[in-house]
Amino acid sequence: MDVSSLDALPGPERPEAALAAVVALRRLAGRLEVAAVVEAIGQGWTWAQVGEALGISAQAAHKKFAPEVRAQRGR
Amino acid sequence: MGLADAVRDMRTIKALMTGAEAEARSRGEQVPGPEHLLLAATALPDGTAARALRQVGVDAEQLRQAIDRVHADALAPLGIGADPLAGAAADLRGPATGPLRSTPQAQQVFQEAVALSKSTRPSRLRGAHVVVAASRLDAGTLPRALAGLGVDRAGLRAAASAEAGTD
Repeated sequence: MDVSSLDALPGPERPEAALAAVVALRRLAGRLEVAAVVEAIGQGWTWAQVGEALGISAQAAHKKFAPEVRAQRGR
Repeated sequence: MGLADAVRDMRTIKALMTGAEAEARSRGEQVPGPEHLLLAATALPDGTAARALRQVGVDAEQLRQAIDRVHADALAPLGIGADPLAGAAADLRGPATGPLRSTPQAQQVFQEAVALSKSTRPSRLRGAHVVVAASRLDAGTLPRALAGLGVDRAGLRAAASAEAGTD
C-alpha cells in the first residue's frame, strides 16, 4: 500500500464507511482462515503447526476447523 | 395463546434460527446477523415477510446480492477487489455444531418480533414481525443493503406492519 492510496481509505473521520470496512474485513478474514486451514491440512500440516501459525493451541485449531476440513476434503 | 399457537410459534422460531444460520453459513459466516434473520423470515411458509419485501420491490435473492455488494463495496477503498477468494469455497460445509448463536442485533430483532407478535390477534409469530423489527435498525449491514436497493425503511416497515396486522 503506497502512502497516496491512504487518502482513499475510509478513515476514522468517516466512521460509517470505516466500520463497514471492518465488518467486511472480518468476514473476509474468516473465509480466508477456513480456506487456508483446509489447504494446510490437505498439504499435510499437523494441527499443532496450524495452531502455531494462527497463534492458538492445536486443540483449539482442531476444535474450530476439523469439522469444516472433513466436510470440504472428505477426511 | 392456545396450545396450537404455541406449537406453531415453536416451529416458526426453529425455522427462523436454523434458516438464519444456514443463510450465514452459505456466505462463509459463522454467526447470523439481522440480515440473515430477515432472509430466513422471507422463507417462512406464512409468506408475510416475502410479501412485505415485494411491496417495496425486493425479493430474497436481490437482498442476498445486495448484502454481498455491501461487503464488496466496503473493501474496494482498501484496494481489495470483488472476490479475492474466488477460488475458495464461499460457504461453510461442516456441520453446524454447538448452541445456535447470533449477533446481539439479530437477537434484538428476534426478541422485538416475538414481542410484536404477542400484541397481535391471533398472537402468532409471523415473518412480517421480523421485517418490522429488522427495519428499525439504522446501522450495520442490513440497513446498508436495503439502502443499496433503494428501499425506504419506513415504507418497508409500514408494509410489514400491514402484513403482520400490527398497524
